[in-house]
Amino acid sequence: MKWHIIFAAFAAFLLVTYAEEEEEAARLLVSKQLLNKYLVENMDIVIKYTVYNVGNAAALEVEITDNSFHPDHFTHVSGELNARIDRVPPYTNVSHIVVVRPRKFGYFNFTSAEVLYRHKEDAGSLQFAASSEPGEAIIVSFRDYDKQFSSHVIDWAAFAVMTLPSLAIPFALWYSSKSKYEKLLKTTKKH
Amino acid sequence: MNRLIIFSILICGISEIFAETCQKPEVIASAYVTEDATILTNVAFTTQFVLKCSNGVKGITLYAEVDGKSLPAARLSSDNKYQVSWTEDVKKARSGDYNIKLYDDERYAAIRKALRNGEDPNSVKPLVVVVLNNPGIYRGPWINSELLAVLLAALVSYSAFSSKFKLLA
Repeated sequence: MKWHIIFAAFAAFLLVTYAEEEEEAARLLVSKQLLNKYLVENMDIVIKYTVYNVGNAAALEVEITDNSFHPDHFTHVSGELNARIDRVPPYTNVSHIVVVRPRKFGYFNFTSAEVLYRHKEDAGSLQFAASSEPGEAIIVSFRDYDKQFSSHVIDWAAFAVMTLPSLAIPFALWYSSKSKYEKLLKTTKKH
Repeated sequence: MNRLIIFSILICGISEIFAETCQKPEVIASAYVTEDATILTNVAFTTQFVLKCSNGVKGITLYAEVDGKSLPAARLSSDNKYQVSWTEDVKKARSGDYNIKLYDDERYAAIRKALRNGEDPNSVKPLVVVVLNNPGIYRGPWINSELLAVLLAALVSYSAFSSKFKLLA
């Protein structure tokens, strides 16, 4: 009887270790971030997808797909919205960057990207993961942005031109009278 | 007979290895750097390239190294097209040329081995090098135009008042 219990315990132990070995698989956490201070119409938006592998095995054939940027709303500048990374080793992270420009201003809801990966070398089906959502953000129109942040050089130049007459005319009058008196002074000294 | 088989298998293996490495690699690259960083927190560097091998190898895994950082080259939807991208803090991003060294599986393993053994990883020659030029990042005007206007106004009024006091004195 005692032996039976010991055997059972041993078997259970084996099962547990086997199960733990079974657990060896990749787990991915995916973040989607916008690296902008402001979102402005027709100016670059940098989107960074970071894939963290928190599992204890390498993730294979990690495919990032983002269908949330419709070509009607965004022009595509650089980086592709569909990319495949062959291997993400355990406890490491890799990133992928896409640059887009919004065509329109107003509120836009930035939704998540999709990630498909193989969590084990011999996994039959692909694992699905969704990235984090940056959420709703406002895209400022370029005019509003320019009003607030442009250097206003032309405006100030116009201001300078406008103030010029009120400065230049009195100066010119004074200068002409000054030079007249100086001429007089010279002629009187000569005599 | 047995030896002959083993030998032929070996040769097959070697030729297979050769077949998988890219011979005479050529790249056609395009790059983009977010030069106007007034509204960004990080500068993005992206480069996309098509790798052409004289022996027609397709779909190999590439690893990239830029300034000591190792990055994976992401494979894009079309054949033999890759993307290498990274970001840098706006204040830390330097201008000039960035050399993106690309390595295949074999060379990347050699680098890791060199690092493990404390050898110089630069001894491993990259498969191909892509150069990305950053002409410099615009972080907004150097001086505020309002400030410039105030300075100019102060200068004009100072000269006017000083000449007036000189005349009255």
